[in-house]
Amino acid sequence: MLGSKTLSAQSSAWMRVALWAGVVALGVGIVFIAQTQPALLEKFPETWNLGLRQPINDFQSWVIGHRSSHPVFAFFFDPLSDLIDFGLRRVEDFLLITPWYLVVLAFGLVGYWLAGWRLTLLAVGGLLFCGLVGLWEESMQTLALMSVSVFISLLIGIPLGIIASRSAAFEAALRPLLDGMQTMPAFVYLIPVLLFFGVARVPSVVATVIYALPPAIRLTTLGIRQVILSAIEAARSFGSTPRQMLLKVELPLALPSIMTGVNQTIMMALGIVVIAALIGAGGLGREVTISLQRLKVGDAFEAGMAIVLLAIILDRLSDALSKYDFTGVGRRQRVLAGVLAALQLPAKGLAWLVCRIAPLAGRRANYETVYESLAQNLFLINSVLIVAALWLADALAFHSGGFPSALNIRLDIPADAVVRWMRDNLYEIGGSPFGTGPLSDFITLQMMNPLRDLLVKTLPWATVILWVAALAFTASGWRLALAAAVGFFTIGLLGMWEAGMDTLSQCIIAIFFTIIIAVPVGVLTSRNDAAQMVLRPLLDTLQTIPPFVYLVPVIMLFNIGRVPGLIAAVLYALPPGIKLVDLGIRQVPVETVEAATAFGSTGWQTLFNVQLPLALPSILVGINQMIMMVLSMVIIAGMVGGAGLGLEAVTGLARSDTGRGIEAGLAIVALAIVIDRITQAWTTEK
Amino acid sequence: MTPAPASIPSAPEISCRDVWKVFGKNPLSIIQSIRPEQTRAQILETTGHVVGVRGVSFDVYKGQTFVVMGLSGSGKSTLVRSVSRLADATSGQIIIGGQDVMKMDDRQLLELRRHKVSMVFQNFGLFPHRRVIDNVAYGLEVQGVEKKARYERAEKMIELVGLSGWARHYPKQLSGGMQQRVGLARALAVDPQILLFDEPFSALDPLIRREMQDELIRLQTVMHKTIVFITHDFVEALRLGDRIAIMKDGEFVQVGTPEELVLNPQTDYVSAFTKDAPRAKVLTVRAAMKPIPSGAPIPSNHHIVHPDMKLEEVMPFVAATDTPIPVLDDASAALGFIDRTSVMQALVA
Ligand SMILES: Nc1ncnc2c1ncn2[C@@H]1O[C@H](COP(=O)(O)OP(=O)(O)O)[C@@H](O)[C@H]1O
Ligand SMILES: [Mg+2]
Repeated sequence: MLGSKTLSAQSSAWMRVALWAGVVALGVGIVFIAQTQPALLEKFPETWNLGLRQPINDFQSWVIGHRSSHPVFAFFFDPLSDLIDFGLRRVEDFLLITPWYLVVLAFGLVGYWLAGWRLTLLAVGGLLFCGLVGLWEESMQTLALMSVSVFISLLIGIPLGIIASRSAAFEAALRPLLDGMQTMPAFVYLIPVLLFFGVARVPSVVATVIYALPPAIRLTTLGIRQVILSAIEAARSFGSTPRQMLLKVELPLALPSIMTGVNQTIMMALGIVVIAALIGAGGLGREVTISLQRLKVGDAFEAGMAIVLLAIILDRLSDALSKYDFTGVGRRQRVLAGVLAALQLPAKGLAWLVCRIAPLAGRRANYETVYESLAQNLFLINSVLIVAALWLADALAFHSGGFPSALNIRLDIPADAVVRWMRDNLYEIGGSPFGTGPLSDFITLQMMNPLRDLLVKTLPWATVILWVAALAFTASGWRLALAAAVGFFTIGLLGMWEAGMDTLSQCIIAIFFTIIIAVPVGVLTSRNDAAQMVLRPLLDTLQTIPPFVYLVPVIMLFNIGRVPGLIAAVLYALPPGIKLVDLGIRQVPVETVEAATAFGSTGWQTLFNVQLPLALPSILVGINQMIMMVLSMVIIAGMVGGAGLGLEAVTGLARSDTGRGIEAGLAIVALAIVIDRITQAWTTEK
Repeated sequence: MTPAPASIPSAPEISCRDVWKVFGKNPLSIIQSIRPEQTRAQILETTGHVVGVRGVSFDVYKGQTFVVMGLSGSGKSTLVRSVSRLADATSGQIIIGGQDVMKMDDRQLLELRRHKVSMVFQNFGLFPHRRVIDNVAYGLEVQGVEKKARYERAEKMIELVGLSGWARHYPKQLSGGMQQRVGLARALAVDPQILLFDEPFSALDPLIRREMQDELIRLQTVMHKTIVFITHDFVEALRLGDRIAIMKDGEFVQVGTPEELVLNPQTDYVSAFTKDAPRAKVLTVRAAMKPIPSGAPIPSNHHIVHPDMKLEEVMPFVAATDTPIPVLDDASAALGFIDRTSVMQALVA
């Protein structure tokens, strides 16, 4: 035993020596090459390019040329996209034919059923807002797109989740795929999706489904895995078949988790609404992008608010659904529910009807039992019946349809005014060297440019790769060092070295700003409940707003360029960062803090000697998250003049240069994976 | 619970022979390599395998309650779970109603679990998403019994365990004791011949536990099920068991009636449990009986006692009389006598 231990200690010591020797040799090699063949290091050699672009573009041309003739399209993609299109249109038509006030009423009733009058208020208020700013039709389109996408995600995700919960091998095979789907910028697969499902709004549904699928799968698997073992054992002991086990025990008990999956799926889908609009999704996303392109801040603001409100409504509704106690235990007796429960007639009628109809289907139904099960959901039944009756009445008599245009409030005018004022007064405050303009210049000229020049021009690419590998080595070990080097090298091979380093420099600056803001603010809110109370709703809102919405005013204030992207990234990454820092400090056990106080630590001493060190793991996780979120903003930064990989990807998409778009996308993925793994290793190490 | 049958019926209801359960990579080959003197800890140290059950054999006859008593980790759950193959024993024979459980295929196993053997669990194992009645009816539901029939049966069982009126409630609305009554009703609903109990009352407060034991004794006087009952509480074992096995490190240390164990603990391990046993409740007159010296007359007393009476029952009048009391069997033949001294000696020994 002892012998083998010293042996392994020795061999790892040798490894270290060998490794450092290798690093030194590489460094010497670089210097040597720099002296003899300077051209090789100055730029990443173009001759090494993998040359993906041409074959991809050729493939694209082939697809376009064969779309109408090849069997893959005739028998697979076309029918599939027809089917999706058909479903989407039916849902959309249904939402648009239904009188607007009934949509509002139905959401209100569902909200009341799930959680009470607060949710009703939120749902009714939010939908009325959408109508009042004149975006009823767009909102319904977005709602339809969301419903169809979420429905398809669940249709695929839940069965896959069940299989994954059954088979460890299947789950192991699925995991890297899901990881990839979640880290990959949606753009990367938007392009091929566009290629294969080339009909109007179908690609956006498919892209949304791909984007929203992982949580549906993951939470189904998790839910089933978490079903208490004692229930499973009991079910087994009574001779349940696997099928009975699944249907009678596992799925019902996994339902809350699956519902959380539904909630997350909806939120993911909403998060991509604006991006989906870029490939023809229509609806609110389109309103935002068009307004953005025309720099009409007010209009973008209205549509953005509508998205935010829809997001909040759907989030709260599905969240309530995931917490809804279907067992009826502890269900609150609600006033309105009581009133409607007094109207037992509809349920009685329905029970009677069921008893008449059931024999026709060859089944026996007992009035008492049918009524009993109906009576448990009296509120829901009455709601459905009322809405249905009103719908019928409206269809016969009023034909209301869409939101009346006479009811309109114009938020775009004041919003425009505010932004105009800000631009006039904050850009250069009183002609002084202060204001957003000079700030923007400062960040660009003094921070971003030098760093970019350092990475792109001053340092030879080989040195950058060596540095990254060294960083990975100290964070974890030689495996990660190797992976990191390969990852960065791949960026070069894709022909994206300069764009990649440009993006990297922007990310580093964004991460720097995010961390120096998030950590102190998180510390503050963790120690001051009032501050937390104020900040919480702000952070929650910030998390649901699609970044496009605040990009518009930011651009007005800071001009097109790399700064708006930076600010958007920082704003995007701040909320989870602040929350995790706050949570980490709050989770430090009270006893530990009290012990420190008992020994006479001052508040600051407790913070620095006890709370921060103990909260470090959580803070590091927060930093990792912030970095990943900053990275996911790369594309959006590219759209507002941020250059780098984002710009490459956007240009590729805009010019139908699919090869270029995919190269940029892959480079983003490589960058993201390397940075994620290094920070994660660093997180778990400490 | 019921006195052991005087004449043993033809075949035991459950019969286990040399049952082993080893956890690890290579359980079968490990069993062959284990030497008898190796302790469980040594086996774990040298082979990395955990011996859950180690060569256990026992028989349970119809209507009997067989209690397995042991400290936590001694392998009781593993043993009882392997009876209905919730855990697969590594080797040995487990015969139920003439069939070897270990050789059953999936279909036969379903049949066994659906109709013959039911189980009650330590943490109740109720389905939180089902009402009491649907919990109780679960076994019938998976058998495919029609709704009306299974609800009728379930209602009856709920009444039997004293939970009338709670059928439409959910488990979490019930107290621990009531939840285990649901567990019991659920096990009884399928009318199994065999009931397996894995520490069913361990999670309950002492008073409730006592109440549940009484309840089980009451039910068993009408049901006559064949029961395997697991516990770590020796007093509970004494109250419920017709025969008790003391288990340690996967092995049965001693098997016997409560009286045999108390009178004659074979190892220090067993006597550690028996020394605090309520002897008056366990020992019978037989244990305090002295032979009548040859030629001496049968003592005369206006009391007479039966050899199977518990000392607890005879103590009041033994204490009140100075003269010996004759012990007469069913045929009124004198077997011996007891007196104050002999009873005291039996109680303190
Ligand atoms: N699935 C398993 N894998 C490995 N060891 C197990 C497993 N189940 C039980 N054991 C071990 O078997 C021994 C007996 O466990 P168990 O039967 O649960 O004991 P008891 O019910 O008497 O407390 C314990 O040492 C336990 O750690
Ligand atoms: Mg146990």
